[in-house]
Amino acid sequence: MLKGFGNFLLKELKELIRDPKIFIGMIIIPVIMFPLLGGIMNFSIQSAQESVAKATILIINNDVGDSAARFIAYINSSFNVISINTTESVNIVELMSQNNVTEAIVIPSDFSANLTSGLQVRIEFYSVFSGVSMFSGVSATVIDSLIEEFNRALSPNIVIPAKSVIVKGQVIENLDAQTISNLMISQTIAMPVIIMILLSYSMQIAATSVAMEKEEKTLETLLTLPMDRFAILLGKLSGSIIVAAIGALAYMIGFTYYLGSLSSAIPSNVNVNLAALGLVPSLFGYILLGVSLFVTLLSALSLAVIISAFAGDVRSAQSLVGYVYPLIFIPSLALMYLDVNAIPLALRILIYAIPYSHPIITSKAVIMGDYTIAVVGIAYVAAFTVAIMYFASRLFATEKILTAKLKFKGLIRRREKTTSEP
Amino acid sequence: MSFAVETQNLVKIFGNIRALDGLSLKINQGEIFGLIGPNGAGKTTALRIISTLLLPTSGSAKVFGLDVVEEASEVRKIITYLPEEAGAYPNLSGWEYLEFMAKFNTNDKGEVQKIVEEAAEISGLGERLRDKSKTYSKGMKRRLLVARALMTKPKLAILDEPTSGLDVLHSYHVREIIKRYAKEYGVTVLLSSHNMLEVEHLCDRVALLNMGKIVAEGKPQELKEKYASTNLEEVFAKVVKLA
Repeated sequence: MLKGFGNFLLKELKELIRDPKIFIGMIIIPVIMFPLLGGIMNFSIQSAQESVAKATILIINNDVGDSAARFIAYINSSFNVISINTTESVNIVELMSQNNVTEAIVIPSDFSANLTSGLQVRIEFYSVFSGVSMFSGVSATVIDSLIEEFNRALSPNIVIPAKSVIVKGQVIENLDAQTISNLMISQTIAMPVIIMILLSYSMQIAATSVAMEKEEKTLETLLTLPMDRFAILLGKLSGSIIVAAIGALAYMIGFTYYLGSLSSAIPSNVNVNLAALGLVPSLFGYILLGVSLFVTLLSALSLAVIISAFAGDVRSAQSLVGYVYPLIFIPSLALMYLDVNAIPLALRILIYAIPYSHPIITSKAVIMGDYTIAVVGIAYVAAFTVAIMYFASRLFATEKILTAKLKFKGLIRRREKTTSEP
Repeated sequence: MSFAVETQNLVKIFGNIRALDGLSLKINQGEIFGLIGPNGAGKTTALRIISTLLLPTSGSAKVFGLDVVEEASEVRKIITYLPEEAGAYPNLSGWEYLEFMAKFNTNDKGEVQKIVEEAAEISGLGERLRDKSKTYSKGMKRRLLVARALMTKPKLAILDEPTSGLDVLHSYHVREIIKRYAKEYGVTVLLSSHNMLEVEHLCDRVALLNMGKIVAEGKPQELKEKYASTNLEEVFAKVVKLA
């Protein structure tokens, strides 16, 4: 063994583990964060499945035969069924919204007759596409397996569901919600990732630039210059935003390229034009998204500035800012695959309360044309930002920006005094 | 004629520490005034309050009649402050740093150029001013910052340990410049030092600070005569013993 290696390594480990910043940041946070994330995912999957199981399905029955009644009874074992017997053609979208359901089945008039003669029969299955999540297609999957079980008693593939999806009130045939959702996830996944990078990266820059003024001992000089203290704060924020935006742009270019190579792997038979379905944001939607991103960025940066004001040097500032990261990462990762509406209420409130989730929520809401959520989110984050900015500007306007360090100096001085006294 | 600096019963408390304990002093315009005392005597705290960085716990401080708390932004227009442990921006060149600082005083490009050229001469850094300041030695950085503090010919220059980290020759050079600026441009200088010999040669008047209080004040020569000492160090030792 190398001479002195063991001794030196022991010292290194002691010093690293005893540094609370490293201990909490590297060991405690991951230990807590990942199980927490896993828990959220698990809980969400369960609740999505439960909500499907308890869901109400509308059945439009055009057939008076026994088989149709048996089929409805079978579905009834897993869903709450609202059944409407009619022989006339109906407006399915209207009926579904009247009955407040998101799934519907239409049984054709020749259902029983065909089944009795052993002929294949197609039933129509409609589902409303309400947002991007990993579980948008869960109901279709449940229906699939129900029909499969039903068929088992008769003959394979005798009943076939013809799936259609309802997007913003328009029926699109031969497409199910899962396919759209899968397609959109590959595109909307970019947003949470970019927001995650943009927020954490710019917070790091802002914290570093404030701590740098302290570490390089330039802050004191700066504070005695004939300039507005608020200008120092705004300068720090703007500088960080610009650098972070350039960084985000670079990431975005790289990420788009990465996604492009991913989506070329999507089977070509899924030929869906999302723009034609109205599933891309409108201009207004893009503007809302931009505003949401901007206010969130501003609040994150102001927070970083405040945090770093309490740090004496760059390293501690960066570690301190790191404590905010779970607040950015958890909603980003959770909302990457989940529809916020599919999350249990308590968690949903938590996610809404975290300002950093709002750009992601907004990015999904504007696609669905749900501008209220976007606007309310912006108002909430803006209020949060104003509060944080006010606090940050107070910090810069007073001696507090310096005294965090001074207190530390005072402690040392006191210790020196007590040790020098006999 | 108002005083360049006038403090009355200045008290500053950090937690349990009374850093300043009733400091009252008057500095005349155009004077080089030295605050001297050991580490922890309260020199830096006093300078920080006068330069609007810290708020006094009680008492008042005025710079050319302007209150450092109520009229802080006006005070900042007529002072420069050189902290004891100051740095420059590591990724800016010395020249860029001086330009950045000069632009707070004037928007006129020609004027900025003139100020920076003057600072370049004071600093004596020559061509090295084109290099990033992170390549400078401690002494070079200090010369850059002293030049920054004097280049705009402020009404009051507050210099905390101006020669800290400088070798004998550069200390001498900096002292000569301070003297010249006070004489030629009427810049009032308030400086601190724990090097009492240095202060003796540089300052018109000095105040001896101990435990946040002034224990003696006057012209160096007068103080030496009063306490029958050969230098200020001896004066200080005697005063502290008496107190």
